Amino acid sequence: MPELTIDGRKVEVAPGTNLIEAARKLAIEIPYYCYHPALAPVGSCRMCQVEILDAGKPPRVTIACRTEASNGLNVSTTGKDCVAARAATLEFLLANHPLDCPICDKAGECDLQDFTYRHGSGVGRFTEPKRATLKHEPIGDHILLDQERCILCTRCVRFMDEYAKSPSLVVAGRGDRNVIAIFPGEPIHSNYEGNLADICPVGALTLKEFRFKSRVWDLDTEESVCTGCDRGCSILLDTKRNKTLRVRPRVNLQVNGHFICDQGRFGLLDALNPVGREELGWVNGARVTAAEAASALATTLAAERGKWLVLLSARLTCEELLLAKAALRPLAKQLAYVPVAAAGGDEILFTGRRAANQKAIERLGITALSEEAAANLLAEPTTVGLLSFDGALAARLMSQLPAAAKSRRLAIVDVIAKAVMANAAVMANAVLKPPHGAELFVPGTLFSEKDGTFLNVGGVLQRARRAQRWPQGTVSESQLLLQVAASGGVSLAELTAKPDLTFALLEALGQPGAMLAQLPDDGLKLAAATEVAVA
Amino acid sequence: MENYLSTEFARSGPLLLAEALNKGRYKTAQRVFELMTPEQVVDEVKNSGLRGRGGAWFPTGIKWSFMPKPPLKGPSYLVINADEGEPGTFKDRAIMEKDPHLLLEGILIGSFAIRAETAFLYIRGEYLTAHDALATAIAELEQAGFLGDAVFGTKHRLRIVLHRGAGAYICGEETALLNSLEGRRGEPRPKPPFPAVYGAFGRPTSVNNVETLANVPAIVEHGAAWFKSVGTAQAPGHLLFGISGAVERPGCYELPLGTTARELVEKHAGGVKGGKKMRAFIPGGASTGFLPPEKLDVAMDPESLKKEGTMLGTGGIIVIPEEISVVDAARVFSRFFRHETCGQCSPCREGSAWSDQVIARFQRGEGQREDFTLLEEIMRGSKQRTICVFPEAFAGPLGSAIKHFRGEFESAMTTQQAPHA
Ligand SMILES: Cc1cc2nc3c(=O)[nH]c(=O)nc-3n(C[C@H](O)[C@H](O)[C@H](O)COP(=O)(O)O)c2cc1C
Ligand code: SF4
Ligand code: SF4
Ligand code: SF4
Repeated sequence: MPELTIDGRKVEVAPGTNLIEAARKLAIEIPYYCYHPALAPVGSCRMCQVEILDAGKPPRVTIACRTEASNGLNVSTTGKDCVAARAATLEFLLANHPLDCPICDKAGECDLQDFTYRHGSGVGRFTEPKRATLKHEPIGDHILLDQERCILCTRCVRFMDEYAKSPSLVVAGRGDRNVIAIFPGEPIHSNYEGNLADICPVGALTLKEFRFKSRVWDLDTEESVCTGCDRGCSILLDTKRNKTLRVRPRVNLQVNGHFICDQGRFGLLDALNPVGREELGWVNGARVTAAEAASALATTLAAERGKWLVLLSARLTCEELLLAKAALRPLAKQLAYVPVAAAGGDEILFTGRRAANQKAIERLGITALSEEAAANLLAEPTTVGLLSFDGALAARLMSQLPAAAKSRRLAIVDVIAKAVMANAAVMANAVLKPPHGAELFVPGTLFSEKDGTFLNVGGVLQRARRAQRWPQGTVSESQLLLQVAASGGVSLAELTAKPDLTFALLEALGQPGAMLAQLPDDGLKLAAATEVAVA
Repeated sequence: MENYLSTEFARSGPLLLAEALNKGRYKTAQRVFELMTPEQVVDEVKNSGLRGRGGAWFPTGIKWSFMPKPPLKGPSYLVINADEGEPGTFKDRAIMEKDPHLLLEGILIGSFAIRAETAFLYIRGEYLTAHDALATAIAELEQAGFLGDAVFGTKHRLRIVLHRGAGAYICGEETALLNSLEGRRGEPRPKPPFPAVYGAFGRPTSVNNVETLANVPAIVEHGAAWFKSVGTAQAPGHLLFGISGAVERPGCYELPLGTTARELVEKHAGGVKGGKKMRAFIPGGASTGFLPPEKLDVAMDPESLKKEGTMLGTGGIIVIPEEISVVDAARVFSRFFRHETCGQCSPCREGSAWSDQVIARFQRGEGQREDFTLLEEIMRGSKQRTICVFPEAFAGPLGSAIKHFRGEFESAMTTQQAPHA
């Protein structure tokens, strides 16, 4: 392993590491634009200039992104020549920059702003007329291009070529007429388009979905996990006034690298801001508080022990699944889940399996049932009803029942939009009906409304932090399950005695225990599954 | 030494193969393919001290010696740089239009020396006449069996691919040329890796200028000692000096390296047109910048011009007459370079445009005192700070204009207050 010196401090790095990454290890900032850790370095922006010190020779200014760390190399990031070179680069980049920071989405997290503060000069000498180019050109389903703000780092071009494997952007023109462009009439068509707004170091590529929604410093940011598929990409949720305004990738080399897909990014944006969400419960056709509905469900399950088919959902956190297994298995006729198959995945990140926590259900040893098998089980005369944590699945199963079994009862715990009566206009004050006609409906919570973990397809257990508040009066799934256990006389002492449910979960999976707060930020890679008894 | 580069320049059309053979052409190439080893050719060229005529003056034999030796892990390529875009330069064009077989014999020998079985001839898009002459000449060689699967009946193979550029000066820079040849954007590649390691299509490649290769047959025929008997010790041989601008007889003149600019301009080109006075001259293509007439006695070789703070470049002399101001002349070049930078490096893209805008202001009589510092800093912030040496090229005319003709810029300054002062 080469050991080198940067600004007088020694650091050891893996062979092949460049000077930017070596300096990062020492928390020394070498600014850059065209470089990106996930893309091949081109060395064109000239922002990362440093000095190589060689005894007896004058310092040699060079670019850090294309210089590999080697044993004994002595690097300065503060020498006057490289400091001047970086300041000159910034002055060049700012010469034609429109400086529309006050109306730019990127302001506050812009590398041009930030590096200018830290490495540039306070005054600009450029007094010539600035270039005028396109300001808000749609170049895909989500991205708008502002050619004036663009500093031509070509990260976007290379991202589409190298990572998204969907070459769609080019540098058109030459010299100072260079602009980023799409091929005429061929907008970006890719499941990775949204990343462009993140990798663009300035505000040249902005998201339609986020434009003018908020100043970035007004956002609250929490670390989370994407539930769009069971890749479980590490993400950041940016919220404001309890609304999720932006979903961004969080670097996690053992899960998603630097990026996320659009299915996740924009899917979550919709899922986490549900429209017309039913926030009250339903019992026998009456709209009641969530607490009342929860009590009714708990009482029913206790009274009709062993008669309900219970289907769990991969939308639940690992901790909820663990609680559900303990609380519901003794009360249910059968505790099971219907595995979701992959559909429409790609070779990059998206698996196409829209069941974020399916791996956890599997490893907790819950019985897998095909949709058909579940419907048959439900149709058995000894089954009185279905409790499902997935409303859409419940509706599908109910519709498959033979005429003789149409009287099966239905209970749903999920996040669902309010259901409106078909003849609502006639009955003005009774416009709503229970979701999917359920006898019992307890409004569920979104994963972003609670702390918990998800186990991805590769066996990495990651923490998702609470980023939003659930609607007032909601009974969360955990609270509901505790109540169900209590009224059914099921003891959960074995779980609640542990430091926390995450700890209990890890033990249940045959791993050394660790609390939620103790999990590494990039998740815990679990040892291969040990056999868990299947009920 | 007799001329060996420009013997056919007086013709109206290209020398065709039949006549070329009568003149003894391709005898040397045939001897090389039949009797010599690549090492012997490389050594001869190395010993001759031949340096590249594309502008950088790198020793050709040494460049060839970087190419891989057997066992080869795949093809090596020879790429011929016929993009000739440097303003004031038209020597390669003369060779290709009038004597394509001189270049082609050089290509045959060069390919043999570096063990290339394919040579890509990248020719400037605007050079249609030259292109057609070469296309004809290549077809003649194929017919004659001097190209193909058995060159001169030996076991050696060679094909020449003629490729037209699309009109970008930067594609003359060897790695931009390689990108362009591959169908990519004509942008210089960061080095290392150098073409000898990673060149055309990722294979080891030697890029050589047209005139460089045109020197090779004579060197191999007559030997290194013969070649070194003219020119300077460090830059032996003849050079095709292109003389253009305000002279009586503009044209391409073959003379030994080290000939003075005065001899070239006054004796061979007949002096400034109309007997006028000279305001300035450019020694070796636009990027070498301006020299005042007092410097006319400089010897035209790389080392002597370096002492004057400039370069020999392509040896294309441009004479600027009295009635054209250096401010205007500098603007012609600043516009050219602004237009022609590939623009991938921030300092070059922005610096070439910004400095052009500043010179345009001087042209309008709106220069300011601070602009001198500004221009110096634009040059300092971009020279040696980019992927290729283009900033050195645009700083050539800019820096020399301010250095030698500052007075002209001072008299083009505004009397008004600077807007930002
Ligand atoms: C901006 C720029 C333009 C160039 N244009 C040409 C050109 O038109 N023709 C050429 O032969 N070399 C040109 N060169 C030099 C080539 O990069 C390279 O050095 C040359 O082709 C090597 O051949 P030689 O060793 O035979 O001189 C240019 C270099 C730069 C930096
Ligand atoms: S890209 Fe950055 S510097 Fe430019 S306007 Fe936006 S915030 Fe300001
Ligand atoms: S649009 Fe953004 S990412 Fe693309 S080249 Fe411009 S600044 Fe770089
Ligand atoms: S220095 Fe100029 S011409 Fe050369 S690669 Fe950079 S931008 Fe292109």
